[in-house]
Amino acid sequence: MQGTLQVLNELERAGVLGRYAIGGAMGATFYVEPLLTFDLDVFVVLPRAGGGLLSLAPLYEALRARGYAEEGECVMIEGVPVQFLPAYNALLEEALAQARETAYDKTPTRVLRAEHLAAICLQTGRDKDRERVRILRAQAKLDMDYLAGVLTRHQLEAKWNEWKG
Amino acid sequence: MERLTPEIARLFAAKEERRHMLAALPFAEKVRAVVRMQKMAAPLLRARGRPVRVWPL
Repeated sequence: MQGTLQVLNELERAGVLGRYAIGGAMGATFYVEPLLTFDLDVFVVLPRAGGGLLSLAPLYEALRARGYAEEGECVMIEGVPVQFLPAYNALLEEALAQARETAYDKTPTRVLRAEHLAAICLQTGRDKDRERVRILRAQAKLDMDYLAGVLTRHQLEAKWNEWKG
Repeated sequence: MERLTPEIARLFAAKEERRHMLAALPFAEKVRAVVRMQKMAAPLLRARGRPVRVWPL
């Protein structure tokens, strides 16, 4: 995974990505027990294309030029299938802006905050998201004041209360 | 609802304690654990027709 993160850092330095952070199951694994996954979900702020549209095409092109091929919805980067998810709404933009700086071995990287991971699960709303929220509540040290702010800003309190049971 | 016997309650508590211990591991150690799980799960998933890859470390 170190090689994968080095490529992401290089893409960010080159301006192909505005900013990136790890989310999904691997993001959650940062805060809770290891969760089985085969994909690395990476949230990205993309530079705006012509007409202000968000497009992954320039990123995929830059990756192809570096020899990394697409496989379904992922790009295989140094042996790890990476799924890029553009920040397409206010919650994701905020989550990326406030992501935690960390390191994997000695490679710097970013991981979404646990509170944002929970909020994104609430917004997405699938069964597996509900299970992930349960695990985050049980094991991650959530900052409840911070979480309350996120839930209020993104109108997710009702869903949180419903899922909290 | 039937109450848990002390023996079963102790087993559940031990499992919960282990989960919290795993949650406290360094990130790189957790990634290594995920890869170990991938190695265990991959043959089963491939047999069901899901093409998965184990990550290199």
